[in-house]
Amino acid sequence: MKKVLLMLSLFTLMLLPAMSQAGASRGYIAIVGSSTVYPFATVVAERFGKTTKFKTPKIESTGSGGGLKLFSAGSGIKTPDITNASRRIKKSEYERCQKNGVHDVVEIKIGYDGIVVANAKTAPRLVLSRRDLYLALAKEVPNPDGSATVIKNPYKTWHDVNPELPSTKIRVLGPPPTSGTRDAFVELVMQGGAKTFPWLKALKKKDKHKFKAIAHTLREDGAYVEAGENDNLIVQKLEADLDTLGIFGFSYLDQNSDKIQGSLVDGVEPTFENIANGKYPVSRPLFFYVKKSHVGMIPGIRGYLAEFTSEKAFGEDGYLSDRGLIPMPKSEREHYRKVATELEPVMSASDFK
Amino acid sequence: MNRIRYSRRTHKQIEYVVKCLLLACALVAVLTTVGIVLSVVFESLHFFAKIPLKDFLFGLKWSPQTAIRADQVGSSGAFGVVPVFTGTLMIALIAMLVSVPIGLMSAIFLAEYASSKVRTVVKPLLEILAGIPTVVYGFFAALTVAPMIRDLGNSLGLEVSSESALVAGLVMGVMIIPFISSITDDVINAVPQALREGSYGLGATRSETIRKVVLPAALPGIASGILLAVSRAVGETMIVVMAAGLSANLTANPLAAVTTVTVQIVTLLVGDQEFDSAKTLAAFALGLLLFIVTLLLNIIALQTVKKYREQYD
Amino acid sequence: MTKSMGSDSSTVIERVERGLSRRYRAEKRFRLIGVGAIILSLFFLVILFGDILIKGLPAFSQTQIKITIFFDPERLPLDKLESADFEALVKSGLRSMFPQVRGRRSKRALYKLVSSGAAYELRKRVLHNHDLIGKTKDLWLIADDELDLLLKGDIARVPGGRFNQQQLDWIEKLERDGNLRQRFNLNFFTSGDSRDPELAGVLGSLSGTVLTLMLTFLLSFPIGIGAAVYLEEFLKKGRFSDFLEVNINNLAAVPSIIFGLLGLGVFINFCGLPRSAPLVGGLVLTLMTLPTIIISSRAAIKAVPPSVREAALGLGASRMQTVFHHVIPLAMPGMLTGAIIGMARALGETAPLLMIGMVAFIVDIPKSFNAAATVLPVQIYLWADSPERAFQARTSAAIIILLFFLILMNASAVYLRRKFERRW
Repeated sequence: MKKVLLMLSLFTLMLLPAMSQAGASRGYIAIVGSSTVYPFATVVAERFGKTTKFKTPKIESTGSGGGLKLFSAGSGIKTPDITNASRRIKKSEYERCQKNGVHDVVEIKIGYDGIVVANAKTAPRLVLSRRDLYLALAKEVPNPDGSATVIKNPYKTWHDVNPELPSTKIRVLGPPPTSGTRDAFVELVMQGGAKTFPWLKALKKKDKHKFKAIAHTLREDGAYVEAGENDNLIVQKLEADLDTLGIFGFSYLDQNSDKIQGSLVDGVEPTFENIANGKYPVSRPLFFYVKKSHVGMIPGIRGYLAEFTSEKAFGEDGYLSDRGLIPMPKSEREHYRKVATELEPVMSASDFK
Repeated sequence: MNRIRYSRRTHKQIEYVVKCLLLACALVAVLTTVGIVLSVVFESLHFFAKIPLKDFLFGLKWSPQTAIRADQVGSSGAFGVVPVFTGTLMIALIAMLVSVPIGLMSAIFLAEYASSKVRTVVKPLLEILAGIPTVVYGFFAALTVAPMIRDLGNSLGLEVSSESALVAGLVMGVMIIPFISSITDDVINAVPQALREGSYGLGATRSETIRKVVLPAALPGIASGILLAVSRAVGETMIVVMAAGLSANLTANPLAAVTTVTVQIVTLLVGDQEFDSAKTLAAFALGLLLFIVTLLLNIIALQTVKKYREQYD
Repeated sequence: MTKSMGSDSSTVIERVERGLSRRYRAEKRFRLIGVGAIILSLFFLVILFGDILIKGLPAFSQTQIKITIFFDPERLPLDKLESADFEALVKSGLRSMFPQVRGRRSKRALYKLVSSGAAYELRKRVLHNHDLIGKTKDLWLIADDELDLLLKGDIARVPGGRFNQQQLDWIEKLERDGNLRQRFNLNFFTSGDSRDPELAGVLGSLSGTVLTLMLTFLLSFPIGIGAAVYLEEFLKKGRFSDFLEVNINNLAAVPSIIFGLLGLGVFINFCGLPRSAPLVGGLVLTLMTLPTIIISSRAAIKAVPPSVREAALGLGASRMQTVFHHVIPLAMPGMLTGAIIGMARALGETAPLLMIGMVAFIVDIPKSFNAAATVLPVQIYLWADSPERAFQARTSAAIIILLFFLILMNASAVYLRRKFERRW
C-alpha cells in the first residue's frame, strides 16, 4: 500500500510539468463542428496531412451549435481555428464572436447536402409530393372539409393522404428536433407542402408565426419516429421493415444504393445530378468558418483552405463528390475559392439582415 | 522500552499523515459533487429564466420542437419532464426485471454450487457482458430483438412499435447482469462459513440455507450491487437511442416508444441548435434534476439499508 | 414445534420425512434455476460474440491488386520528390494493364479499383529508396474498399449498383490473371484513423485508450481504496459519514455525460488543460469510476470478519497496521472486482469524452498525455456512423480488439483474485 501511495505521488509529480506546458503551442489545425460536415472535412484533412509537410488537422464532431460555441469563445491557440456548420452562423453567435474578440470570421460555403426520403429496394418505390409529406407528417393538418381550420392529423396510411399512394401505414424514421437535418427538412419540405394550401399561404403573409407553428410541427403520435443520428442504423431498419421510410443525408443513400431507394419528391428522383442542378427540391448548404487571425499563428491553415476549395476536392468530379457532397455551381465555387485564398471578405453585421 | 516508545511516537505521526491522506481520498468524492453542481447549475438557472420551474417539473409534455434559428417560431416547445422520467423508470424497471433474477441466481449458483474451476471461468466470462461496447447492444436490440418482439406481438394481435421500451429494457438487462452477479457473488462469498455450517447442522438443505441464512446476511451488499446496476441502466444512452427512440410519450405501455433523461441530455448537447437556446440549456436542467433525484433516492436507500445491516461473525 | 416434539416425537420424524422429498425437489429446482441463469447469460454472450465475430473477421483480410509500376524519372524529379504526383504512376500502371480503356469516364471508373493508399505507399517506397526511380516493378497494392467488399461477397456482382458492367469485366479479368489476392490486413494494426476504410487502423485509438486508462487506473485504484478504507475503518458513524456515503452512492448514479460537463468546466475551462488530450480523458474517467471502486471496495472491507481485526488489535497491532496488513489483503479480491467493473466501464465509455473533445478525427498516433487522441470506443462509435459500407466490418473488428483487451484485463484479475481469495 505504501508503495502504491509512493507511486501515486511520483506520478502526480510527473504530471505537473505536463500540465504546465500544456497548450503552449499547437502544431496542427483544430477544427470542430457539425457531424454532417465531418465526413467531408475529414477526407480533406487526411489528404492534406498525407500530401504536405503539415500535420493532419484534428477534427472534432461536436454538432454545429457546440462547434460555434467553442469557436466564438475567443481568439488564440486554445480555441479552434475552423468550425464546420450544417447551417449558417446565427446573428447571436456572430455577436458572441465579436464580444469575445473574434473579429475576423470568414465564411466559406463548401457545397450542398441532399436530404432524401428512402425505403427498402424490395418495397415499391414511392412517388411523393411535398404536400403528401406535409399531410403525412404534420401534427396538425388543414381540415379536409376545406375550411380554414386545422385538425389533429387523422391520416393513418399513405393512401389516406393521397389516393394514388399504397395503403401502407405511415411510419417515417427521421432526425430529432435538435438536428440540423430535421431543421432543413421542415423548412424545405413541410413548409413547401403547407404552402400548397392557399389559405395557409395567405396566413404566411399575415401571421408568420402562426403559419410556422402549423407548418413546422411534426406529429408525435408514432407515425414520425425520432431515430437517433446514426443513419446507418436507419438504413438497416429500412431493410428489415419494408413499410418504413427514412429521412437522412444523400451520402447514405449513395453508399447503400443496392439496398435502399430514394422516393421521388415532386416527381424528381434524388440523384447526384438532380440535386446538383437544383431539380430535386430538398438540399441545404454546408459551411465552415475560419478565424483569419489564426492564419499566421497556426501552420497550414492556408494550405488546408486551398486543398478544400480546389477543383479536385469540392469540384464536380472531385473526391468529395465521391463521398456524396453535392458541388456548387461553377461560379459559386470560384467565388468561394477566391474568398479562401484572399480570406476576404470578413463577415460583418450587415451579413445578417 | 525506550525504543518502543520512540518508535511508537514516530509511528503515531506516520499514522496521522496516512489518515489525512485517506481522508483526502474520501474528499475527492465531495469535490467531484461540488464540481458537478457548479458545472450544471448556472446553465440551469439560465434555462429556468426562460421556462418556468413549474412547467418543467410538472409538465406532462416533452417536445423540444422549438426553433433552431432565431427567426423561426417555437412550435410546440414543451419542456415537461414527467414523460421523460417515466420513460427512464420504465426502461430501468424492465432492465432490472431481466437482470436481477438472472444475475442473482447466477451469483448464487457460482458461489454456492459451482466448483471453483467453473467459477473461475464463468465469472469473468459474465463480466465481459458488461464490457461489450453499448453500440453492439444497440445494433443487437434494434436489428435482432426489435423485429422478434414485433413479430411476436403481431402474432398475438398486439400493436408493437419497432422502437419500444421493452426491447431497450430487455437488452439493457442483459448488459447489466454482471453488475449484479459479480458483486452478489463476492458478497455471498464473504458470508462467514460458520453461518452455513450452523444451518446445515440444523438439517436445512442447501437451498434453504441460501434463502433463509446466506441471502439475508448478504442483503446490504446485494442492495448496493443492485443500486449500481440501476444507475448504469439510468445512465445508458446508446441502447435507448437505437432501440427505444427519442420520442417522449407519457405511457405505461412497454410496447410504446419512450425516451430517457440521459438520452435527451446527450441529444440536446450535441445537436446543431444554438448553444444558448432553451433546448441546449434544458440538457443542463435535466442533469441537475437527475442529480437531485438520485440524491434523494440514495438518502432513502441509505436509511433503509442501515435498518437491515447486521454484522456477523 | 417444541410442544409437539415433547409430546410425540415419532410424528415429527414422520413429518420431516414426508417433507423431505419435497424439500429435495425444491433443492433440485433451485439448483436448476441457478444453472439455467448461468446458461442463459452465457447464451447471450455467445450470441453477441458470434455476431461480432461474423461481422468483424472479414476486416482482418484485405484485397490487393498486382500492378506493374514504372517509376518514371520524368514524373519523379529528385528535387521535388515530396510533392511528386505518385497517383499518376498508379494510374499509368493501370492503363498499361487495360490499354483498351478510353474516355474520361471509363478511366475514372478504372482508377476507382485502386485505393488512394496505393499512391501513399509508392511515395513511401520512393522516399525510402531513391534507387527505385527508373525501374519497373510488379507491386501488390491496396485495392479500393468497394472492390474488397465485392470480393468478400458483401456487394452483389450485378451491374447498376456500386459497379457498372465494364468494371465487373475488369475485375473478372484481374481475377483470371491472378492479379487479385487477399492478405492479412496488417495495416489495421499499424495505422491511425482514416476516412478510407481500407487504410483505417486502430493503432491511434488504441494508444489513446492505453494512455487514458493507464492514468485512470493509476489514479482511481489507490484513491478508491484509500477512500473506502477511510470510510470503513476510520470514520465514526455519524452525520459526516452519512453525508459521504450518500455523496458517493449518488456519484455512482450520475450519468456519465455529466462527468463530461464537469471535465469541460473544471479541467479544460478552469485549469486550462488541452482539449482532446488523454490527460483530461483520464482525469474525467477517474472521477467517473471512483464511486464504483469505492462502493465495491467498501463492500469487500465490510465482508472481512470483525474477528480478524480484533485478533490483530489484540496482539498489539495499531489500527493502521491492522488495516494495511490484514484487512486490505483480505478484501483485495472484492476490491479488484470493483476495479475491473469500473475499468471495464471506463474502457467502453464514449459519452463523457464527447464534451472534452475526444470524439474527433485524429490520424497521428498519440505519444504523450498531452497529444490529441481518441479512444477505441469513440473510434467504434465514429466508424459505426460512417456512410462508407466497409466501415461496418471495421467497426466489428475494432470491437473484437476492444473485447480482447477486456478479456486480458479480466484474465489478469482472475489470476490476482485466485491468488488472494479465501473463505471463512
